[in-house]
Amino acid sequence: MARYGMALDYKNCINCKACEVACKEENGVELGAEKHRIWVGGNNPEGQWPLLDIASAAFLPSQCQQCDEAPCEEVCPTHATYYDENGVVRVDADKCILCSYCMNACPYDARYVDDRTMTVDKCTFCSDTRLARGETTTACQNTCPTKVRTFGDLDDPNSEISELLRTREHFSLKSHLGTNPKLFYLT
Amino acid sequence: MKIIETSRRKFLQGSVALCVYATSSFSSPIFTTKTSDKKVKDIPYLCNMCRNKCAGFARVENGTLTKLNPNQYFPKSRNMLCPKGNAGIQALYDSDRLKYPLIRIGERGDGRYKRVTWDEANEYIKDKLLKIIDEQKDNRSTVAYCNGEGFNKDEYIKFFGSKLGSANFLDEGSICLNTKLGATQLTIGDIGEMDVAGSDYMIISGANRYESLITPDSVDMIHAKQKLIVLDPRCTMTAIKADEYLPLHPGTDLAFCLSMIYIALKEELYDKAYVKKYFQDFDKLQKHILKNKYTAQWAEEKSHISAEKIERITREFFAASHPLYYLGRRSVWSANDFQLRRAMVLINALAGSINRKGGIIFGKPFRLKEEEITEPFYNNAEGRFDLDGIVYGSQKGGSWLNFREKVINQTAPYTVKVLFVRKHNIMQNMPNITKTKKMLTMMDLVVVLDTMPSDTAMMADVILPECTYLEREDMVVSFNRLEPSLALRNRVLAPLYESKTMQDILKGLGKKLSTPLFEISSKYDEDLQDAIKEQGKTKAFNEGGYNLAELYKDDISTRNKKLILTQFDENVYVSLKTKGVWHPYIENQKNLGNDLYEYYPEDKRFYTVQKKYKVNCFLKKLQKYGFDAMPTWHDRYDFKPAKDSFRVITGRYVTSTQTATTNNMMLKDMKETNRLWINAQVAKKLEIEEDDYVIVTSSVSSVVLQAYPTNKIAPQVVWFAHGFGATAQELTNAFGKGASDNMIIEDKFEKIYGCATMHETDVNIRKL
Ligand code: SF4
Ligand code: SF4
Ligand code: SF4
Repeated sequence: MARYGMALDYKNCINCKACEVACKEENGVELGAEKHRIWVGGNNPEGQWPLLDIASAAFLPSQCQQCDEAPCEEVCPTHATYYDENGVVRVDADKCILCSYCMNACPYDARYVDDRTMTVDKCTFCSDTRLARGETTTACQNTCPTKVRTFGDLDDPNSEISELLRTREHFSLKSHLGTNPKLFYLT
Repeated sequence: MKIIETSRRKFLQGSVALCVYATSSFSSPIFTTKTSDKKVKDIPYLCNMCRNKCAGFARVENGTLTKLNPNQYFPKSRNMLCPKGNAGIQALYDSDRLKYPLIRIGERGDGRYKRVTWDEANEYIKDKLLKIIDEQKDNRSTVAYCNGEGFNKDEYIKFFGSKLGSANFLDEGSICLNTKLGATQLTIGDIGEMDVAGSDYMIISGANRYESLITPDSVDMIHAKQKLIVLDPRCTMTAIKADEYLPLHPGTDLAFCLSMIYIALKEELYDKAYVKKYFQDFDKLQKHILKNKYTAQWAEEKSHISAEKIERITREFFAASHPLYYLGRRSVWSANDFQLRRAMVLINALAGSINRKGGIIFGKPFRLKEEEITEPFYNNAEGRFDLDGIVYGSQKGGSWLNFREKVINQTAPYTVKVLFVRKHNIMQNMPNITKTKKMLTMMDLVVVLDTMPSDTAMMADVILPECTYLEREDMVVSFNRLEPSLALRNRVLAPLYESKTMQDILKGLGKKLSTPLFEISSKYDEDLQDAIKEQGKTKAFNEGGYNLAELYKDDISTRNKKLILTQFDENVYVSLKTKGVWHPYIENQKNLGNDLYEYYPEDKRFYTVQKKYKVNCFLKKLQKYGFDAMPTWHDRYDFKPAKDSFRVITGRYVTSTQTATTNNMMLKDMKETNRLWINAQVAKKLEIEEDDYVIVTSSVSSVVLQAYPTNKIAPQVVWFAHGFGATAQELTNAFGKGASDNMIIEDKFEKIYGCATMHETDVNIRKL
């Protein structure tokens, strides 16, 4: 029993896509740009060459925000979407009827359809792969060249992530929606 | 804070790869395999998707490779794998891989081959080769051979150079970084290593370290507490992440450097004690730079960087405690490249940033012993000719463009009839592809060893399928100087299909060729005839070292064990086999948090070592050959593309390594094609919109690709990534995607190292 979360030192992201590839390989995600559990949003620097404002460019790695109050879970008619014992929002493929309510409800656009199983899929914090065999890192965290992500147990006051959240300013995405994400962006 | 677009829809716009996969191109059912919840033994290996050789662990389940993970023990790769490293699985399981030996049955380049056995392939090579070497009266240099892969290069040279006796070896150095290596070697007597992590003020010219990853530099830059200045005509990811980005004209970095030297000398900012102790001909440098008045105002005119900035940055640089002018490592840009790199070395030296923390360090690499072999001596083997007209040049890897020119113009002193190509995509990697094609058509025998049916493989007479890096053990390698380590690539899986390791391929060839080639020598070589008279045939063969496969008596595992145990000990061997890496502090690495480690404790790193060296300002040999002995600007270096034309520059996406990864379906999934970066305002005038097809024409040829109008590039410059535009239809994922830069880049080369200058071509752009 843990309450897993992730802190992202997003200013260190160089949009290299290592996390995207690692996630696909680890979790057997289909190929194709629509099929991904993780992505990086970004904007270009403003201004005209040569007067470019490089500080205005930023890259924001994103994935399922692992909400504590997950809108996707609320709307799922078959309870296919559920919180597992570690607080991770999961999808039970056997129960999923592909009604796609959850895809519309998710304010973060984190869900997609797996065409092989014809169910909705999303980031699981590598729960059924890495965590299931006792590993303590997610594929995206582990491979990142600049180590943008810190993954760990929010309930453990001694975990690296707890320490980080105590000592550094952070924000969460679309916090006004009251979804209480467990992904934290460090400033 | 700014609102950053987080939606995946936005992300999709920039990515063209939609779900065409299910229905088209792929015949192989393996795409990605979800890893299981079982614990398995992970095999330590070294990545080979690019030149970095990051260390990793491979997860194999029921004989299938399911995942590659980073290795926390390797100081060089800092516990990471990039997107390409992660996509190595797809290189192994690429359904387009070369699977069996093939012999050409159609015209060169038309793709018609027949499947043969290894013995048939070797027999075919033997017949052709014997005939040619006999005709050439035992001039072994009629066989040229080239290699584009770092690992096993020396063994490959031992086979064709030391053993078979050819002088004509070519590698990627003359289309990559030889000017930089040479400039450092000739200026401070060593190629050194840059201590990025230790530098508190770093200037980078053009090197795009966040998209063209070099370990550990790229990783260290993010974490180092340093001010980073980036000069580039293009606003790259590295520029975006810099503290200051200085846009400049292509090819004018030298003007910036000269001005830095001028200011340092004029304002006496340099490290006087260091200069006094180490500099040779400092007075000449001083006189030359001051006399030419390389002022900041002068450099502003040349480079487009404001004089105020040049002055301020120079002062900041020389005031920093560990300043570093990063030397880069990549294609040579302009005719002035050698002196550009020298100027960078001299700037570091003027700041005293040599052989100390945060500068160019000499360090203390592990020196591995060479395995000894006997090298035959061939009296009739001629020397290499590709360095004729080149001042220094690399005796090892030569000059590709000069070689190719002499072959196709038939101005070489003898004919080269045979070319062995190992993992070197020469049909894509050097400027003016038409000429490479011509060269290949002039050969009587072209043999390609590769894993993929590259554009070059499809020009071969015989194709020998080599296995990928995941299917072989390689000899232990020594890495780095500041925090030296050993690393060993273990075998993850046995070679798939009928592919073989390079060693096994050469062993097979050696067995076939040794005796008959010896017979030819005995026909033409008088010394050998004498030896045979004296010792008899068998002894002359054995003692003369004519067994080409001598190195391969033992397999790699045995050779590795022997080498490591003679020079190190059992612990080192076990560490290399179980962790893939060894360094003295491996058992006590300190976890710095979030999976980052300290390898060598700070006080054990080789920042400063005992070494005798001088800083050479003036190179007499260059003067003697009529070249600048010191970094100098000439008007012909000015950036002046003709009206309405553009300078084309090239580079890479973070998801590709030259053309080697071009067919990788995972990487294609990330970045399907290359597009032409063109200044947005200019594009508007030309009515070019995003994704419009444009034709890009140089004096050499033209290519068609889609446009990417952006504010991130200068008005008279266009850019597109190398690694696309494959013409081999056998590469089903890559064929027809994007354009090849070398199709249009003019084949010019500088005369100091014979390196292709990649950024000297002007083009016209027209909307289709
Ligand atoms: S691996 Fe790290 S740096 Fe690369 S895109 Fe992902 S979060 Fe960004
Ligand atoms: S935590 Fe695992 S499933 Fe989620 S994005 Fe990262 S790698 Fe993918
Ligand atoms: S940088 Fe990437 S491709 Fe290159 S060796 Fe490392 S993981 Fe492999």
